[in-house]
Amino acid sequence: MTMKTNYLNMLFISAVLLSFGGCDDDNEGGSSVNETLNAQVINDFSSTLPQTVYSDLASKTSTLYDQVLALEAGDATNAELEAARTTWKQAREAWEQSEAFLFGPVSTDNIDPRIDTWPVNFTDLEAQLASPAAFTEEYINDLEDALKGFHPIEYLIFGENGDKAAADITDREIEYLKGLALNLKTLTADLKVSWTPTASGNYHTAFTTAGEGSSVYPTQQSALEELVNAMIGICDEVANGKIDEVFVAQDPTLEESPFAQNSMKDFTNNIKGVKNVYLGKYAADAKGLEDLVKEFNLQLDSNVKLKLDAAIAALGTVTQPFGEAIISQPIQVQNAVDAINDLKQILEDELLPFVREHSK
Amino acid sequence: MRKERIILKVCLSVGLMVAAYSCIEPEPLTEDSYNEWLSGGSQTIFDNGAGAFSTIFPTLITARESVHEIGDIAFEQTFVTVPSPVNPGLGPIFNNVSCTSCHINDGRGKPPVGNEQITSLLVRLSIPGTDPHGGPNPVPGFGGQLQQRTVFGSVAEAQVKITYQEQSHQFADGTTYNLRTPAYTLENPYIPLPADVMYSPRIAPPVFGLGLLEGVAESDILAHADPDDRDDDGISGRPNYAWNVVEGKKTLGRFGWKAANPSILQQSAAAYNEDIGITSFIFSNESSHNQSQYDGFDDEYEVSDSILSSVAFYIRTLAVPGRRNADNAIVLAGKQLFTEAKCAACHVPRLQTSTNVAFPEISNQIIFPYTDMLVHDMGDGLADNRPDFDADGKEWRTSPLWGIGLTKIVNGHQNFLHDGRARTLTEAIMWHDGEAAQSKEFVRNLSTADRDALIKFLESL
Repeated sequence: MTMKTNYLNMLFISAVLLSFGGCDDDNEGGSSVNETLNAQVINDFSSTLPQTVYSDLASKTSTLYDQVLALEAGDATNAELEAARTTWKQAREAWEQSEAFLFGPVSTDNIDPRIDTWPVNFTDLEAQLASPAAFTEEYINDLEDALKGFHPIEYLIFGENGDKAAADITDREIEYLKGLALNLKTLTADLKVSWTPTASGNYHTAFTTAGEGSSVYPTQQSALEELVNAMIGICDEVANGKIDEVFVAQDPTLEESPFAQNSMKDFTNNIKGVKNVYLGKYAADAKGLEDLVKEFNLQLDSNVKLKLDAAIAALGTVTQPFGEAIISQPIQVQNAVDAINDLKQILEDELLPFVREHSK
Repeated sequence: MRKERIILKVCLSVGLMVAAYSCIEPEPLTEDSYNEWLSGGSQTIFDNGAGAFSTIFPTLITARESVHEIGDIAFEQTFVTVPSPVNPGLGPIFNNVSCTSCHINDGRGKPPVGNEQITSLLVRLSIPGTDPHGGPNPVPGFGGQLQQRTVFGSVAEAQVKITYQEQSHQFADGTTYNLRTPAYTLENPYIPLPADVMYSPRIAPPVFGLGLLEGVAESDILAHADPDDRDDDGISGRPNYAWNVVEGKKTLGRFGWKAANPSILQQSAAAYNEDIGITSFIFSNESSHNQSQYDGFDDEYEVSDSILSSVAFYIRTLAVPGRRNADNAIVLAGKQLFTEAKCAACHVPRLQTSTNVAFPEISNQIIFPYTDMLVHDMGDGLADNRPDFDADGKEWRTSPLWGIGLTKIVNGHQNFLHDGRARTLTEAIMWHDGEAAQSKEFVRNLSTADRDALIKFLESL
């Protein structure tokens, strides 16, 4: 993941800081920093976003596991399979929205690659299915990342063309699916716990004590910057990785979520996740960066929201499945890339310097 | 950004800086120490969060930025078993499936905790003697590196088991600290390992700032060398000359824990080859070549020349995070102690890159990596007892310290040293021995407040 810092802006901000820092007598307790509000934004982020989104994710994967457990080879109905597919997409929605804050345990504890590695290792997956291996919890846990998580599950319940019938699911596939679903349920439960305030070593405490003894975030500023940088990071990833890579190559085989034809939804949920972080809003609407920006710069608040909505709207104009749209709707796809890059730019060039100016 | 805005911003910046200088008091920052804020010279960035090691050079032009992006995407690609329409060629034996799965967030790996799988630590192997180029002598049937993972149907070369023994020690003021000594066992080898096998565990190091280190002139690095300790300070510092595959001769080694790799390109190609099982024009044989599990799939390069070059360029153009709190009084006190303890004799604060018209971004920069790029005897406790080109079994390259204070936020841990045995910066210091024995003793005799200051200084890097 790469984040581009606008050098000129850095220079400008450094100069601004330097000009204040130099005459530090003038700036004691400067009114441009609202520490109480900053603390609230940081605290509300944890409770409103990671705690709630990961909780949703864990609850959906738990449901998915139950639904997979109910599948019986030969007896599985299309309705049962469809229910599992719907739950898979709901779990995916929570996960993709959570990618707007890919920092902390999800990354440092290696959870992300274990649940969302792409591509699937089809050669080994077929070999696993053909083997006599018992798909125990431990066996699945020890498998390579490209053999577990969302995408192998997607492949098995949607089928290569997204139209798998319940009657076509084999005994072995069901055994494997059960192992995969349990593994996904366990890992996402771990992820939920990792931000739960009462759990030992949880990241909620590390994040919300920023500037007040946190072992990770020495200042409130560093926590707020983390939020903005995470937002920038996923915009970059969607526009210049997930979409651009497939689009430039004009190669649908590079698409990440082809079996469920879910890629456009994934991208949209990524950007919705960015909006959630900005607003401090998911199930509930709490204090977010929005409130901080509104206090000092209404114009910036309005501009960020316009770019957020423009990016989500541009993604909405791509009506074909992504693998087809790269060829049939190139203008819409390009517009979406441009709109996300516009969003990324205002986050980099204006929101990040703003946060630096109004925190310490 | 529109041109007028650029001009406006530059004017404002200059104006503000002038305004700033007119009221800045000279203490505590001198002209020299001011530059120290910019650890990576003009390629310094100011992201102190999880992305601190993953940020592109700030001054790349768009065309070169695109190459970085291509390398970035390749760095994250997961390889899978042949045949596959996407990223085929994994293994058949390997350590991991992508660059980023060891170098998480372009940062530092760690040894497994409890029953975790080993993901970002690997074990180099050799037997006594050298290969035709003067490098480690590969182990028949295993090669120069142990691969403990495989594609379906292949057998791992062995499993690595790590156990630790804790010992309690005391600082002079009576405060205790613990060190854990690792022991490595290679279990269930697929064929017997020779009795005289030597092995060296290595953690995935951070990959930012390497372009600047590659840009330091050889003569500037050699200027710090003192192989026979003629200045009698107990510190030698030797260059490690290692085989350069592209040039077909030994050249100055710069990268890896023992500086046994001469270039970022070769380092990247070696990692593709040994760690993932991916062939390239530099290493065209599978890592399993001449072994019973060789799959014969090295008829064409599994990573193209241009992708390999882009990955090398990506790594070269990862910027260095700037310092935090460099003017804090405690940090400055810690810096003073760092110098008094002679840490700076090897962790040389300041280097200059050479003039390079072909690569203006890294040309002629004053940088603060805190390394001399040389190998030093670090004592018996850390020794791997496995020579690697000119570095003997006790020598390790001075690790750059820039960015070290951000390890926690980027990688979620504070495991340091070649095998991640140290769990804090203090433990890492107290493992130092050999040429660094006096420095360690200096630290052992410090008061708690002084030790804290020293750590605060390191955390500001």
